[in-house]
Amino acid sequence: MALINLENVCKSYKKGRDRVDVLNNISFRVAVGDFVALMGPSGSGKTTLLNLIGGLDRPSAGTVVVNEQDLSDLSSGRLARWRSESIGFVFQFYNLLPVLTARQNIELPLLLTKLGGRQRRKNAQLALDIVGLSDREQHTPARLSGGQQQRVAIARAIVADPKILVCDEPTGDLDRSTAIEILRLLQILNTEHDKTIIMVTHDPKAAEYAKRTMLLDKGKLVSRSSQPEVEAEVEA
Amino acid sequence: MTTFGFLVKSMFRRKLLVTLSMLSLITAFILFILLRSVAVLFSGVLEDVSDVRMQTASKYAIIFLLPHRYGEEIASVEGVVDVTHASWFGGALKEGDDSAMTFAVDPSTYFDVYDNYHISTEHLNAFLELRTAAVAPENIMERYDLEVGQKVPVVSTIFPTANGEPWIFDLVGTYRSDSETDFLPFLFHYEYLKEATGVSDVGWYTFTIADSEKASEIAQIVDSKFENSSDETKTMTESQAFRDMMQQFGDISLMMNGIIGAVFFTMLLLTANTMIHSYRQRIPDFAVLKTLGFSDGKVARFMMFESLLFCLTSATVGIGFAVLVLALVGPFLPAGLVLVVTPNTLLWGGCIAVALALVIGFIPAYSANRLVIVNALHAR
Ligand SMILES: Nc1ncnc2c1ncn2[C@@H]1O[C@H](COP(=O)(O)OP(=O)(O)OP(=O)(O)O)[C@@H](O)[C@H]1O
Ligand SMILES: [Mg+2]
Repeated sequence: MALINLENVCKSYKKGRDRVDVLNNISFRVAVGDFVALMGPSGSGKTTLLNLIGGLDRPSAGTVVVNEQDLSDLSSGRLARWRSESIGFVFQFYNLLPVLTARQNIELPLLLTKLGGRQRRKNAQLALDIVGLSDREQHTPARLSGGQQQRVAIARAIVADPKILVCDEPTGDLDRSTAIEILRLLQILNTEHDKTIIMVTHDPKAAEYAKRTMLLDKGKLVSRSSQPEVEAEVEA
Repeated sequence: MTTFGFLVKSMFRRKLLVTLSMLSLITAFILFILLRSVAVLFSGVLEDVSDVRMQTASKYAIIFLLPHRYGEEIASVEGVVDVTHASWFGGALKEGDDSAMTFAVDPSTYFDVYDNYHISTEHLNAFLELRTAAVAPENIMERYDLEVGQKVPVVSTIFPTANGEPWIFDLVGTYRSDSETDFLPFLFHYEYLKEATGVSDVGWYTFTIADSEKASEIAQIVDSKFENSSDETKTMTESQAFRDMMQQFGDISLMMNGIIGAVFFTMLLLTANTMIHSYRQRIPDFAVLKTLGFSDGKVARFMMFESLLFCLTSATVGIGFAVLVLALVGPFLPAGLVLVVTPNTLLWGGCIAVALALVIGFIPAYSANRLVIVNALHAR
């Protein structure tokens, strides 16, 4: 069973009177444990696609089924709840809250759970340990480097233990060596912590850290490097 | 970190902006309490004045005296119960300080007419017995540091003594009123004044009537008795007289409320501006919160809660500070000027704070509710 299943998905935005078709009849599946790099030129709709998978937006047509949930069935409130349980988000510009310390930023998603204060702190600490930033828990984002901020963002994405991570150019704002550290971290999360990852990137070198690559151009999937077991599983 | 802790931190993201707005709102609440307590003072006096107590004074001005025999004539009018008289003495209990009122009265009838004033039988008897006796209300005793049993020197510009020395009264007792806001006078024997100065006229008459409905009728009868004499009179109920006097100040209460209204309207614009500004700057944060799974309703409630927190904190600090200030300066205010913060005022303060919060929180809360994540993230 595929963890992510898109069928005939279209997305268009209205710009005044015009309609901009961003995604055009897209279908693909991602199996549990996969690590997909999504590439394509600027404006090709990568972020839009990622937002549909993450339940931040709804398709204009087609179905998006993620983690056995058809997202079009959900009200906005239940979709929010579903996001908090199923998806971890990592953005290019980290999107941490500037008033909170690293640990508080990580704890934030846990305010939506039933966990007590102590357990929340413990889980946040654990996530910090995983991303290797235990010594920076009291620092606010302004006092952290870009790479460190992205680690905190990744810790925030995994703290509620979602199955899926969606990452939009997570290394787009980082220098090469820092980018490599982040990509290694994502790899570890994929292999050791069983996170299924979809990562948008412009950088072919970054894409090499993924298990396979999909290429998006003008709203269409133009190629995908095959991954035999998944295809076989889908066939069956 | 708790949700509450998070919201407090989030509110102070723009520390200077939020702190300054908070300070101005605190100032507004301080002003509110001070102005209300003044308004309460005036309206309180108005409420306490009686409709069954009437005053007869010179038609032309209260400073003109009336003949002593008028008392008996007023008493003979049907419907009149008790009659007493008083005369303005204009005494200073301390050098240069005549803010306390000093009246020469007839102690044998005064407390019958002013039945809302209370004096113990022991003190009243002492007052009746001694020519040079005087009684003072508690706030005057406190203010001038007086004690029952002591002699009180009083200087009067209206009735100076022959040798320029102060009058000396024996303070034999104290009295109080039902109401905290009454301006109570220092009272002494009219007979003493008469003996020492030879005056035989009195300042004004005060009397009670059996039926307040008959007030205007009785006023007419009394005034017609003295018509065409050299001392014509004007008679009205105490509340009427008081309203007339207050008219000179305009409607104090209305004026105070007007100022308070203007202050809070300004505050409304100012704090609404702050709230919207502070929300706008945090749009990316709210988009992140929604991304993480906080629902539309939840982020809207966060904004509303923040607005309530902002207003209620300011109200609590402002009102608390004003109450403290009033308690501290109270003893130094002129006698009779009792500024009290009534439960009603506190309730109003709370209501204003909540109403303000709802109004200024509405736009940000509504916007936060409607914020579309992808648009907000796309706009970055
Ligand atoms: N919220 C939105 N409202 C209107 N138009 C949008 C919105 N989001 C994206 N678009 C448009 O959709 C198209 C695809 O945008 P998208 O952000 O998905 O591209 P992308 O592949 O992620 O590009 P980049 O590599 O530059 O991030 C663009 O033309 C963009 O202007
Ligand atoms: Mg993009």
